[in-house]
Amino acid sequence: MIKNRNFKGKLFENMSHISAGIVILALAVILGTIAYKGIPALNSEFVFSSESEVIGFGGAIGNAIVGTFLLSLFSPALAAPFAIGTAVFLKRYSSENKFTKSFSFLLDVLSGTPSIVLGMFGFLFLVVQMKYFTGGFSLISGTIALAILILPVMERATENALDSVPEDLEHASYALGATRWETVTRVTIPYALSGILTGILLSVGRAAEESAVVVLTAGYSQYYPELKVAPNENFMFGSKIYPFQDLVGSLPITVYHGFEFPQFVSISESFGAAFVLILIVMLINFGTRMLLRRRRIG
Amino acid sequence: MDNITKKKISEKGTYFVLLSLVVLTAATILYFVGFIFYNAYPVFESQGLVNYLTGDVWNYGTNVYGIRTFILATLAITAVTLVLAVPLSIFTAIYLSELASPRMVEIFRPLIELLVGIPSVVYGIFGLYVLENLFQDSVDPIVSSALYFIPIFRDPDPGSGFGVFLASVVLAIMILPTVTTISEDSMRAVAREHREASYALGATRWETIRHVVLPAAAGGILSSVILGMMRAMGETMAVVMLIGGINSAPTSIFSATRPMTTKILADIGFYVSEPGPKSALFGIAAVLFAIEILSVAAARKLGGKG
Repeated sequence: MIKNRNFKGKLFENMSHISAGIVILALAVILGTIAYKGIPALNSEFVFSSESEVIGFGGAIGNAIVGTFLLSLFSPALAAPFAIGTAVFLKRYSSENKFTKSFSFLLDVLSGTPSIVLGMFGFLFLVVQMKYFTGGFSLISGTIALAILILPVMERATENALDSVPEDLEHASYALGATRWETVTRVTIPYALSGILTGILLSVGRAAEESAVVVLTAGYSQYYPELKVAPNENFMFGSKIYPFQDLVGSLPITVYHGFEFPQFVSISESFGAAFVLILIVMLINFGTRMLLRRRRIG
Repeated sequence: MDNITKKKISEKGTYFVLLSLVVLTAATILYFVGFIFYNAYPVFESQGLVNYLTGDVWNYGTNVYGIRTFILATLAITAVTLVLAVPLSIFTAIYLSELASPRMVEIFRPLIELLVGIPSVVYGIFGLYVLENLFQDSVDPIVSSALYFIPIFRDPDPGSGFGVFLASVVLAIMILPTVTTISEDSMRAVAREHREASYALGATRWETIRHVVLPAAAGGILSSVILGMMRAMGETMAVVMLIGGINSAPTSIFSATRPMTTKILADIGFYVSEPGPKSALFGIAAVLFAIEILSVAAARKLGGKG
């Protein structure tokens, strides 16, 4: 009887160890393969030129790197006031009631939205219907759609950061006669800052790796983004404002081209782009971890 | 006195600024949700909701739309993904929360987070250029000959590795971290006293896990599975590269087929300006969205937030 019980325990515990081993093995195989197939493609011409400068399509990823940076910097910048403002309001300016509960449900719905559904919204609403303002497939459309995508990530992270602030500190601030806003800006937010930054960084990473939304809103461009204004009667102000109303390339879409247009973007180029993309996302995640660690100690 | 009035005014001002940010955010989300269902409505009206969900024909020429095959494809991919990912994730979570030393956890956690950091297109090309050959030459033939007596394991097209199984294996790796970390968190949240009480009654470590920790963490584990399911159903870019893209319902786990998400991706660019086809495509999104909203509600109930 006892023997059987111990045997069962051993069996399932071994299964747990094996499962963990499989997960690590999968990770090692995936990362190893991408590095092995991607690194040979990397050289300074491939990384630092735009596709238009090399052969027109494929052959370089400079334009996509710049585009990814633009998209993943602008969209968190647009989302931040809404995400942080909302979190501060919900956590410090209102108590839990029907409204906050349904709002939190809405945020959960948004964070679970299939990205293709958000992509369709961006495509029909921002690219087609709002073309006069956004320029169609453009940096603006991509930024707005991505901002909606990452809003829940940033909002939840900010809520968690605010939850970590000790009540005593805020009570002390109130006791000194500070108003609610003074307490929030001088006590709560400074204390929660690294947590909030973590949320922002997470959403930068999320925006950098997104593909379905980007391909339907930002389109793709083989050129480096340029800074200029060209007369164009189809748009607001009678002119097209580059780079905001212009198409923009991004790394996930370059990777995708390895599937869509294998005759132009070779396997090794696709893996090269994937390697650089993972490197960027991982550096961001690594930065996030460092921030988190500092918060735990300090 | 004056100073205090000033403070009161600025306090009111910031309140309204924050409130308007909240209202704008809520309005944006509601507009987005409404936009999808509003644009989908014409197709539900013209086809009838039941016909739309159960019809097999999808024809832009005659304006007849039914999405049964896409729904079946999505269900097949999601089911196979969960069968592969859930046991692996839960056993890994058990290892991390109950068996591993703190040092191992310290090493393991960031590695699992690395898996989260891999973009879905990258999983896609990994499946496309690395796994597809392997599946075509080895995995599919071995599995299908071993389990040939079960019809759903027969390979309808042995010359290709694309299909439900390949897509599901890749999706399973993609959802592993989500299911593992949330399950692990809910297992860790089980109070130590419960475990100690179980040991005190003479239970072994495994019996404690099986009869105390897992039941107590069941809500969190289930909601992690729902989240993983949502991710598998909604994934587009990785699946489009691996599924084969044929408009027919899957008959076997090796069938090439076309789920709801990739149908949208394949067609939306061509038909966005024609009202009938546009609405038909938004109908798919609306059905996906409705499933997602129900799943979120279920996950919240289980997670104790509802």
